[in-house]
Formats: sequence, C-alpha cells, structure tokens
Amino acid sequence: MRIVVLSPSAYSETACAMVVRMAELGHVPVGALALSALDRGTLLRKFRQWGWQDFTHYARTKLSPLQKDGQAAVRNPYLRPMLSRGNGIFRSLHEVAAFYRFAVAICRDQNAPESIARLKEWSPDVILFAGGNILRKPLLDVPRLGVLNAHLGLLPEVRGMSSPEWSLLNNVPVGITIHFIDEGIDTGPILRKYEFPEAASCESLDDLRNRLIAFGIEKIAEVIPALDRGTISETAQPDLDCDPQFFVMHEWLKQRAAVRLVNNRRSVVATAHG
Amino acid sequence: MTNAVADPKDRSKDNTAPTVVAKALIEATGLLRAPQRLGPLIQKLVSDKVRVTFEQRHLYSYVTTKRPSAEVLNLLLRWILDAQRPDGGIAAYYSLLTGYSESYPEVTGYIVPTLYDFARATEDRKALAAAEKATNWLLSLQMPTGAFPRGLHGREAQPSVFNTGQILHGLVRAYAETNHPGVLSAAVAAGDWLVDMQQPDGSWSGSGAYQNAAHTYYSMVAWALAELSERAGDRLDSSRFALAAEKNLDWVLTHFRPSGWVDGINLQGHPNYLHFVAYALQGALECGVLLRRNYAVEAVAKSSWVLLRKFETNKYLPGAYERDFKSPLRFTCLTGNAQMACVWLRLFEITDDLCYFNAALKMNEMLKQLIPSRGRPGIVGGVSGSFPVWGQYQPLRYISWGCKFFADALILEQRLKQSFDATAVGILPCAS
Repeated sequence: MRIVVLSPSAYSETACAMVVRMAELGHVPVGALALSALDRGTLLRKFRQWGWQDFTHYARTKLSPLQKDGQAAVRNPYLRPMLSRGNGIFRSLHEVAAFYRFAVAICRDQNAPESIARLKEWSPDVILFAGGNILRKPLLDVPRLGVLNAHLGLLPEVRGMSSPEWSLLNNVPVGITIHFIDEGIDTGPILRKYEFPEAASCESLDDLRNRLIAFGIEKIAEVIPALDRGTISETAQPDLDCDPQFFVMHEWLKQRAAVRLVNNRRSVVATAHG
Repeated sequence: MTNAVADPKDRSKDNTAPTVVAKALIEATGLLRAPQRLGPLIQKLVSDKVRVTFEQRHLYSYVTTKRPSAEVLNLLLRWILDAQRPDGGIAAYYSLLTGYSESYPEVTGYIVPTLYDFARATEDRKALAAAEKATNWLLSLQMPTGAFPRGLHGREAQPSVFNTGQILHGLVRAYAETNHPGVLSAAVAAGDWLVDMQQPDGSWSGSGAYQNAAHTYYSMVAWALAELSERAGDRLDSSRFALAAEKNLDWVLTHFRPSGWVDGINLQGHPNYLHFVAYALQGALECGVLLRRNYAVEAVAKSSWVLLRKFETNKYLPGAYERDFKSPLRFTCLTGNAQMACVWLRLFEITDDLCYFNAALKMNEMLKQLIPSRGRPGIVGGVSGSFPVWGQYQPLRYISWGCKFFADALILEQRLKQSFDATAVGILPCAS
C-alpha cells in the first residue's frame, strides 16, 4: 500500500510513529505533508492567538526536539518503541523520510492547490491523518481508498474535541474509532471501533491520551491490510443533526475528568485486591 | 441630560424624539461639560482597538481561568452599588461621554434578585441594604393601576407592560426575602394589571407595549407572572397569574422556527440584538420550568444549542441577528452573552448535559477578561454594552443590566460548581 501522512508539523511524534509502523509492516510511505511550524505567517498568527506567554511555551515545547539529560527524548513514551532507531530516536519527519526514502513537503495549508498537486504526484492508496487542517473535498478525493483517522473516542457518541475527557465525564467507555474522514467533524464512515481496556490503569489524562494515540496507531495498522483486501466494511454514521459534538473542554471540567480517571483506577485496584 | 443613542431599552423614544445623530451630538457635548472624561474614553477606545486588532479567537480560547470568578463578581457588585442613586434607584448606565444616567425603574426591579443572591452567597450587608433601598424606591413609583412607568425616572408617566413585568421579578423576590405584606400587595397589583392588559392571544400589545407591538421577548413578563403565582400561591388564589403566564408562553412558542430562531422580537428601527433573543429564550425557559412545561424547555434547548455551536466554533457570538441566526456583524453584545451563559447554565442544571456547562464556563471566562479592574466608579467592574465599546449596542456605555446578568451568571456558575463537586463527580449522562 502506498501511504501518505498528513501532519500538524514536521516534528509530530505521532506522524513519525505512524509512518515508521506502517513501513515496518511492509507498506510503502511515499510522502508526508506537514504544516509549516516556522513559517513567518504561521508564527505571527500563533502569536496573535496565544499571546507571548503561551507562544513562548509553544516555541519551547514544539519547535525544538525534546532533550533529556543531554539525549533526545520522546514526549509520548508509548511511541518510543516505534521511534527508536539503534541508539537514537527519530526526532522529525525529515529523519524518518531520510531513513525510508520518501519526500516531506512543508505547507501552510494542506488544502491549498499546490498541496493537492503534490499529493496527487505521490498517488497514495491511503492517507493517514495525524493532524493539521480541516480537510476539504479536493484533498479527500486524492487517495484511492480514502483518508483514515484514529479518533480518540467512540463514534458516533463522542464526536469532536477533548474526546477522552468527555468520555470519562459522561461515563461512556473510552476508546478509539478508525474512520474515513469526510467533510464534517468526525462524521465519516466507521471502519472499526475499539474500547480501550487499559483506560482504568492510566495515571493521568496525559497518560491516557498518550496511550490512546499509540493504541490508535496499532489499530490503524490492523485495519489497513483488511482495507486493501476489501474484507472490511464501512458503516455510515447515523443522521448527525441532533447528535452532540463536543468542544474543547474547560480546565475546571478537565480536572473533574482527571478525578474520575483516578477514581476509576482506585475502584479497579480495590476490585483486584478485594 | 439626554438619553442618547438609539436604544430600545429607552422607552422615552417616540416619533417626536430627535434623530439618532442629533442625540449622539447632544450626548457628545457631555465631554464639554466634563472634559476629565476624555482620558478614560480614549483609554477604552485604544484598549479595545488593540484587542480587536491583535487578538484572534482560537480553539483554546477561554478554556483556562485567568481571573477568579469571585474577584470579578465583587467588581460587578461594586459597579452596581456605585450606580445606586440617592433615591435608591439604579442608574441605567455610565456613559463615557455623559457619566451616570438617572435611575432606571425597570433595571432597578430586576437587579433586586441579583443583590439578594449576592448577599446570600457572600453575606454582604451592603448588597442587602441596597436591595431594600431599591425595593422601597420602586414601591414609591407604582401607579394607582398597579403598573410601573416606562423610561428613565422622571421622564415619563406612561405605564409599561415590560417594565412592570421586570419590576415584578424584584418585588416577588423582595417579598420572598422579607415577607413584607406591602410588597406582596404591590406585586399582586402589578400582576393584576398585567393580566388585564393581556390580549386574547396571550401577547401584550397596544398602549402598554413598546412601539405598541407584540414582542416575544415579553416572555420575561410571563416568567414574572409565573413566579408571582408560585410565590404568592399560599397566600391567595394566584391561578390567574399562572394562566396568563401559560397563555403568553404558548404564544411565544408559536414563534420558534425549525432552525431554532425566535421570530417576533419585532423592534422597529433596531436589529435583533442578542440581548432580546436571549430575553425570549430566558423567559420561555424559566416560565416553562415553573409551569412544568417540558416542551418549552425543549424548544429553548434547541435554540440555545444553535447559539452554543456558534460560540464554540467562532469563539464569539455576534451582537445582532437576521432571521435564522444569520449575522454579518462583528461586534458582540456582552449583556446577551452573559444572558446566554445563564441560559446554558440553567439548561445544564435541568438536563445534566455538560456541554452547556462547558460553554457557559468559557463564556464567563471571555466576559471576565473584559471587566475593568481599575478606573473611576462607573468604569471599574463595568460591563460595556458592546465589545468593542463602539459596537452598535449601547455604544460607549457601561450598562447596569450587563452587570446584573453577568453577576447572575457568575453566581449561578459558583452554585453549580459546588453542587457538581458535592455529588463527587457523579454519573452524568450527556443529554444533548
């Protein structure tokens, strides 16, 4: 399968891990389209949006590879097995691309005509979405099979942002959904849904999110061969006009979701000991 | 003193009134009388210009608490207490051009419950005293018919349905707090006048209504009647008030469109400001709750969800709308925003749907960032009519009803947070 990855930046660990995992399984990464992190316009926009404090934090954490004790480290420890390369790790899509010999294109907008033209040149069977813009139809029409996303919630119940947190607060099982992206927000046809059995053992919301991302990559890797063989069927989502879409969660509620996570963990531990 | 720029809250406006431009010019002469206001005016204009130029709303706007709610609530109440005139009434607004307006009976009426809520939440004696003083002033204004007058104090002697309904909110609450029979008598007289003035179809139109027309935002009047019925029910036969409330509620609900839009705001010469849309929703919701009419709650929830999605997606709510919530406008009506926070918080309380709570928390964060923490009385703790301050709704003014609704939203937020934590992050299904 010829695979392309869409990434929110060239330094996205998720995108790097996704490409590496697919390559390990024998698929052929043919390109990666990443949003520019150093583009002057993008930086200015982010500065305007976030103010100098948040911007400085962003620059410190996102624009430079993470260092720990003088060595490159990974932010999501559950991706380390995929990102490891001998004694080091892949720190950017450029490094992954150099190793697996594919092209990385940096753009300001993944839907822009020049981005679409580049994607068409790569002629992918599948595009994997690791982050970036809301995708428009011209881009969605490029791959032979479609654009795949591992959504961090069970669709159609948990659509939108902050999905793991909303799942916890609403007592909905935490999980992921592998689905095709369409023009709506998490409204595309569903290929597979997986509850995440380890949710109750997570130590924090960050820990849960990190594990879900790694879990999602593994499940995409399982789905792609079935997609190639045509042995997996897609399920259209129901009429979503009256279904909820969740939005970014306020920190006060997020703290309560974290409490719920800890409580779930305690009850699991108590059951195990009881 | 003039009451200036086109303002549907200003019931003194009629066909003989000067044009909007003339009014604005007259108001601008306020600066000649008090040039010391020039500094704060320029400061506010510059700060809003900087904010709209350099700040861009984004996905993560308003998800973190940058100012404690209690601090901002104290500022809002300070603004209201500063705005209380020696007669006991609350000024309608503080204009950056002309200073405080005269006392405004309508707003004074519905600020009374806010003062009691604040006093209860913080044990603040000043708020309690201010509520009692305001109530006494209102009682002195009641007409022999039971009605209350329109407009700013001393301007008009014409009775007004909407103002009487809004003042009734204050009287009902004052009676609940003090058990004073004189307050109950005044409330019942006001209620009886409203029942007499109601049209057979359940609306209020004609001489007591603004521009003589029927308006769906008069659901606020229906809510007041439903409250009166509920509170006074153990002392007298109050079924007529509940019936009138229900009749109006049913009339209002016939104006809810499939898109969620509410027709019949019906203000000639003014756009459909969010303030009035939110009034229609708030009145229908609270009336529906008191009368146990679930269909009203469902209709309001549907409309409120449309506005919630707009706010979550665009990070602001336009200040005025055309039909079906279309809006080309870029200013925002802060009072309407605060009212929507109240509606979303109440919908969370009623339905347990956390999406409403989440949106209200973010709306309150947005509003908190716009409350001045420094400045002279009239500015510090004030809620401007529009953001930016030169926007179409109540330009260049800090308005008392903005402070009232935002204080209501913060008090409600605090109460719901406490009850949420008291249930130990209980089981809450998503009901949207």
